[in-house]
Amino acid sequence: MDPRPGDDQAAESSGAADRRRVVRDAAGTAGQVLLAAALGLIIGAVLMEIAGYDWTRAYQGLWLGAFGDPWSVADTLASATPLILTGLAFGLCFRAGYFNIGGQGQMTVGALAAVVVGAYIPVPTPVAVFLVLLAAGAAGAVWSLTPAFLKATRGVHEVISTIMFNWIAFYLALYLAFYSLNDPQSAERTVRVLPGVRLAPLLAGADATAAIFIAAGIALALYWLLWHTPWGYEMRVAGLNPSALRYAGASPVWTINWTFMLAGMAAGIAGATQIIGRPPTYALYGDLSNLGDLGFDGIAVALIGRNHPIGIIASAVFFGALGSGARMMQIMAGVPLDMVRIVHGVIIIALAAPEVWSIIAKSLVRRRAARTEPVSAQAPNSPARR
Amino acid sequence: MPGSSVPRTGAPGQRPGPPAGPVQSDTWLEMRGITKVYPDGTRALDKVDLAAAKGEIHGLLGENGAGKSTLMKILSGILPMTSGRILIGGREIALRNTNDALAHGIGMVHQHYSLVPTFTALDNILLGRGAPLSGPARSAARARIKRLMDDTGLYVPLDVPIEQLPIGTRQRAEILKTLDRNVSLLILDEPTAVLTPQETEQLFQVLRTLSRGGTTIILITHKLPEVLALTHRVTVLRHGRVVGTRPTAGATAQDLARMMVGAERLPAVKERRPQAIVEPVLRVAELTVLGDGGTPAVRNVTFEVSRGEIFAIAGVTGNGQTELIEALTGLRPAASGYAYLLGQPITGVNPRKLYEMGLAHIPEDRHRLGMVAQLSIMENSILGVHFQPRFRRAMPGTLHWGRVRKYARDVVRRFNVITPSLRTPMRSLSGGNQQKLVVGRELSKSPALVVAGQPTRGLDVAAAATIRDLLMDMRNEGRAVLLVSADLDEVLALADRIAVMYEGEIRAVLERGQFDRERIGLLMGGVGDGPAAG
Repeated sequence: MDPRPGDDQAAESSGAADRRRVVRDAAGTAGQVLLAAALGLIIGAVLMEIAGYDWTRAYQGLWLGAFGDPWSVADTLASATPLILTGLAFGLCFRAGYFNIGGQGQMTVGALAAVVVGAYIPVPTPVAVFLVLLAAGAAGAVWSLTPAFLKATRGVHEVISTIMFNWIAFYLALYLAFYSLNDPQSAERTVRVLPGVRLAPLLAGADATAAIFIAAGIALALYWLLWHTPWGYEMRVAGLNPSALRYAGASPVWTINWTFMLAGMAAGIAGATQIIGRPPTYALYGDLSNLGDLGFDGIAVALIGRNHPIGIIASAVFFGALGSGARMMQIMAGVPLDMVRIVHGVIIIALAAPEVWSIIAKSLVRRRAARTEPVSAQAPNSPARR
Repeated sequence: MPGSSVPRTGAPGQRPGPPAGPVQSDTWLEMRGITKVYPDGTRALDKVDLAAAKGEIHGLLGENGAGKSTLMKILSGILPMTSGRILIGGREIALRNTNDALAHGIGMVHQHYSLVPTFTALDNILLGRGAPLSGPARSAARARIKRLMDDTGLYVPLDVPIEQLPIGTRQRAEILKTLDRNVSLLILDEPTAVLTPQETEQLFQVLRTLSRGGTTIILITHKLPEVLALTHRVTVLRHGRVVGTRPTAGATAQDLARMMVGAERLPAVKERRPQAIVEPVLRVAELTVLGDGGTPAVRNVTFEVSRGEIFAIAGVTGNGQTELIEALTGLRPAASGYAYLLGQPITGVNPRKLYEMGLAHIPEDRHRLGMVAQLSIMENSILGVHFQPRFRRAMPGTLHWGRVRKYARDVVRRFNVITPSLRTPMRSLSGGNQQKLVVGRELSKSPALVVAGQPTRGLDVAAAATIRDLLMDMRNEGRAVLLVSADLDEVLALADRIAVMYEGEIRAVLERGQFDRERIGLLMGGVGDGPAAG
């Protein structure tokens, strides 16, 4: 009963139908996103109208600030770079069924590792950049593997442990930035990385560097992993039906560890791009202000990007545009920063709503199913996750 | 074997005895013409009548899927009925939810208890009644529960967290919780399934006490000795219809078994070709497997499955079949004993390795194990074999979707899976087509041993017939088939040998030619023959 060689012509035609179906699905998702974005912009306009601001000029400013000239585009891309990576850190774990809230901490230790390696190991440029990324990725992986290990062996919920690891990373970074790595000439930041590892601006005077290509490359690699390798296949099975993963002969422990490790690496490299790929500082501020909340923002980026690597790139660019457009919104329409933030929040909520709703709907369906289907005391345990 | 005397006790530690107490014969509870049709058209109950007097212990007997639980869920307000009437004391009542049922004094104790593990027994019993956490009102509540314990004999240590109490005691807490709502009709769904023989006997004493006190009890069960030992009357359901109601005093185990399994309605299957070679493919020796509760679910089971044979395990579900399958397919460790596939040990081995050794596993619960609903037909067609080199590119690791597509299309064609496209998500297919894909994927492995758990459960007649024929093909090709099915007709039609499982033991193994429907029915109900080796 081995499979017979198939009829190739039929394969082609059914392949074409399948491709059309994929295009249709993608178009549907894109349409949904655009609709949500439009809704967010309309609500934002209503809010600004009520508060007495000229919303047409405000949105004009938003557009110009984000995409008005090459420098604005570079600004947008520079803001998007770390968000792509922290978005991947959340999105990859989410695909496999886990909530990785630890992107912030993983990014922070990645930044620390980048400072240490970048400032103290003098080697030729390409090797140095590679070493920095490797060290940052490894640091992020170590930071995410501990919660993963606790989850796999002791059942510690990853949301709790990753949040705790965020705080450990936060204070560790504060301590090191002030006491061990600080620059004697400039007390507000750490030592700067060596010139050899500083990524140059793509455009004179702009923020964007080759780091955007690193981030996009990692997103593409993870896309490839998820949809074109058996390991990625297992991660997706794990996220959708963990019992089927065991039936398929894969080890849930390995899947958790691999997924978290890759997620931690992405977040760690996000920290590195903020150090070596964001002119003009090339160092970590003592108050960690050049890391901000990028790790947490990654959660929203991933949700809006539907936890798909390509969607996450688009979503991160959108977030970057909102960030770089904010200034011009203030300048052109006199909208105060707080109002700008409110409008951004509304747009983000409108975009995230369909995804959040589908998560809620899923858990409701599951709960209803649990209520209507008799569960006998002897039935095997249903997966006790999420 | 009509006429032969069969002892009334099956389970150890169960005392034979006359049903407890006298019963007023006038009807108190009445269910008339209850019909339940599910949205998908399944007729779970068809004009079912049931009546019980005050203080009566009424047994509700039937095979899996006979409609016992559905009927009682309607009576306890969990499910709405499609048509019919429910009367209590001659007055018709409407049950929209469980609170309505409790207001009429109807309470149900489910197989799976609704207790909070970290709360004390008292907190659990009072949960949902807005009971105060301290003060005189709480003392009053405690006193009330103590009185209830004295009246019923259901003693529970009130201040110990539920998770520290044995299963039998948890069940008492659950019953107390129900009785505390002033319940006059207590429904118990397979209450002895998780109890030890001693706990079972204690429970029966309590139920007799309650019955003498005027509480009406409906006991859902498939165990004949329990019905005979405890109930006053018994109603037998089959395929959603009432077969009959009998006073237990005059009934014998044979009568009830006959009523439960019914007349033969064997499905037509393909021709069974004679197999010359007998050569064991699967050997299981003294295998014991623990259930989720940590108690043995499979007890010291021994059997062999030869090539060219369908070895069927019959029995009511929940008697250890699931755990047995899981232990043989790498999903559950064995507590003791051995299992060999073609001479190689298989307990505790990773499923992927077992598939390479020649195992095909059609899982009992395809939604939970055998498929991923959101993924496409294509992606589901390689679940479990996705690591095999034939689906991969030369470049390390990468999946070759072109080859997967060809393979999936081949499975879809050969096993006649009806789907609009290979990228259609699995959940969009009908149950029959989902199962055909799972079966197709498994049988395409060229297996030496096929383990099939309830392969036709929930399928339409045509899909079920297809799958039975495929299993017969496997047998005729000289492969070994281990079939676990709660459908007795299916087992009788397909099997070369039948082993009957009851409470984790194989009670008897019957050869084709000596299949005896009534004897199998009795064995499934826990009457006759002790542990047997096959």
